[in-house]
Amino acid sequence: MARTVPTLPYRKPGFWRRLRTGNLSDGQLAVLLLLPALLTLAAVMLYPMLTVLWQSLHFNRLNQPFRGTPFIGLDNFRRMLWGDGLQWNASHLLWLRLVGLAALAPLAWAVRRRWLSRFAGVVLALALVLVFGYLLGFHPGAGGRWTDSRFWNSFSITMLIIVASVAGSFLVGLPLALLANVESRLRWLGRVALLLPWAMPRVFAGLTFAWLFQSQYGVINDVLRRIGLDGPLWLARVGPAIAAVNITIVWKTSSFVGLILLAGLQSIDASLYEAAVVDGANAWQRFWRITLPLLRPSIAVALIFRTLTAIQTFDIPFAMTRGGPGRSLETLGVYIYNSTLALNIGYAAALSVVLFLISLAITIFYLRWIYTE
Amino acid sequence: MRYVAVRLGLLLMIVNGLFPAVWLFLTSLKTENELTRIPITYLPLHATLHNYVAVFTANPFARFLLNSAVVSLAATLVCVLFASLAGYALARLRLRGRKAILTAIVMTSMFPALVMLVPLYRLFVGAEVPLLTPLFGYLHALGWGFLPTTVLTPNLLNTYWALIIPYVALSLPITTLILTSFFQLIPEDLESAATVDGASRVGALYRVVAPLSAPGVVTAGIIAFVNSWNEFLLALTFNTATTMRTVPVGITLYQGEFAFPWALISAAVTIGIVPLVLLILFFQQRIISGLTAGGVKG
Repeated sequence: MARTVPTLPYRKPGFWRRLRTGNLSDGQLAVLLLLPALLTLAAVMLYPMLTVLWQSLHFNRLNQPFRGTPFIGLDNFRRMLWGDGLQWNASHLLWLRLVGLAALAPLAWAVRRRWLSRFAGVVLALALVLVFGYLLGFHPGAGGRWTDSRFWNSFSITMLIIVASVAGSFLVGLPLALLANVESRLRWLGRVALLLPWAMPRVFAGLTFAWLFQSQYGVINDVLRRIGLDGPLWLARVGPAIAAVNITIVWKTSSFVGLILLAGLQSIDASLYEAAVVDGANAWQRFWRITLPLLRPSIAVALIFRTLTAIQTFDIPFAMTRGGPGRSLETLGVYIYNSTLALNIGYAAALSVVLFLISLAITIFYLRWIYTE
Repeated sequence: MRYVAVRLGLLLMIVNGLFPAVWLFLTSLKTENELTRIPITYLPLHATLHNYVAVFTANPFARFLLNSAVVSLAATLVCVLFASLAGYALARLRLRGRKAILTAIVMTSMFPALVMLVPLYRLFVGAEVPLLTPLFGYLHALGWGFLPTTVLTPNLLNTYWALIIPYVALSLPITTLILTSFFQLIPEDLESAATVDGASRVGALYRVVAPLSAPGVVTAGIIAFVNSWNEFLLALTFNTATTMRTVPVGITLYQGEFAFPWALISAAVTIGIVPLVLLILFFQQRIISGLTAGGVKG
């Protein structure tokens, strides 16, 4: 008589059991491991990005709670461009606006018929907008609507800092990287000198240079005096202050560019140089024909990160002059901070949206540039 | 000739990098009177440590140091933990679209941190919670009267949390990138050998991968620490109480409306730089390799 052993149907162990015994499938484990990082990023990066968009369409002054937070559409942006006093008059120069719009139509048509490349179309459209915008009065200077707009001022100083400091940090960073790559007994000290500006907080760099640039007791004006020059009142005049802040930013950020480029240099195969020497290339030719072309990816990375941080310039102008003299160094970052400090949350959010759009545009521009290369 | 040029260049580079810090140190040794002499003195006439004492008595600077240390270390620990979990998953596990996930994580570092300022301020000040508040309001209307009508986030301003949370997120992209590329370097055979020998997957992770990945973790940790130690804008906006300020924000306290007590400021800045200089001296090669992992792959 055969004894039948009751066979239990196989049951797959549950999720928690498999977790405890370490037998999760790859996908499940991966989701579990990625979850903390993704949740943090979603909460601190994604959520702000979405709410800031929503906030920018609202009136919200924390110091005037009785006014509530009504939806005001694009009014924050209007205030940015036109200022508080000027109201846009719907019939103002209507014919000029219609002509401008009419000029865009054939352009779109030409792009559609492939007579123009899309790139050329975009550039021409931008040029048209600029020209007609100028005619309509959207320009700084005499007679323009942006003459005393605080936004226009911070926008232009931010753009100036982006161009000047990115170019400057690249021009200083490249020689730094080349020097840090040379075999020498002093190389370790050179690398410390390369790392220190990177590791130094931006505020500290700003304070340090504010002291170096101090007009009476600062070391820079002292050296100039010894040469026989009369140094300016660096931080009290608009022009010199802009120069001083840019020099500080270049000092602080060129080491980051140098470090990225140093990595690129170290990944270049040394045999290429040996072959070039055999072929009789001099140092200059080796630099132009081997080093620079092979350094291209690193240069692109350095430029992208530098530009994106330059848009957010806040610490150094704030530490050096608090955005002064006057409002001459009030970058977009300082402006956002000042608006938040004034508890004008809706307006600060609108400024943040503009900042975000600028960095998005620059990122897209760089990415297209990299992918077409 | 070439040798001389390189030597000269290196010398210039060293002066460029170190002179501001050295000058700051010299300034911190001078008395306030000596700083306002014309012509200015280069080496201190009567070197004194008086300023370093005054730094701690004029403001609660020890408290600033403590705040900075707590916030930076906590943010670094959490960040490295999250990043190594994510990095392991992205480097090792078969997962559809892991490259896209890594790209998305890295792309968030292009997101301007300034934009976080307003929303996070609103959230930390004790605002309505995005999903819960409307939901609770709805449930309340349905008659679930014991539920609160509005759900507010706790007021996190002037606490360590207000800084730790955003700092973790700020350093997550770069540390995840570093650790992912580091895990990819560890041969997969080691892990499968451990599994064959009877270790479970988690056991293999713990016994084989974790010890091997220590250098990468240290690198990522240093970069996260430096990032958190240096952050200024969020600390300035979120933690306004004097006792909750971090070092970079605290030092701006020494700066009056019109007067700049430079001797004090330079002593305070010198103290604030010391941890960073130590990190550079001991971990020079690690930092460079860490930054370059981000640079080459990104």
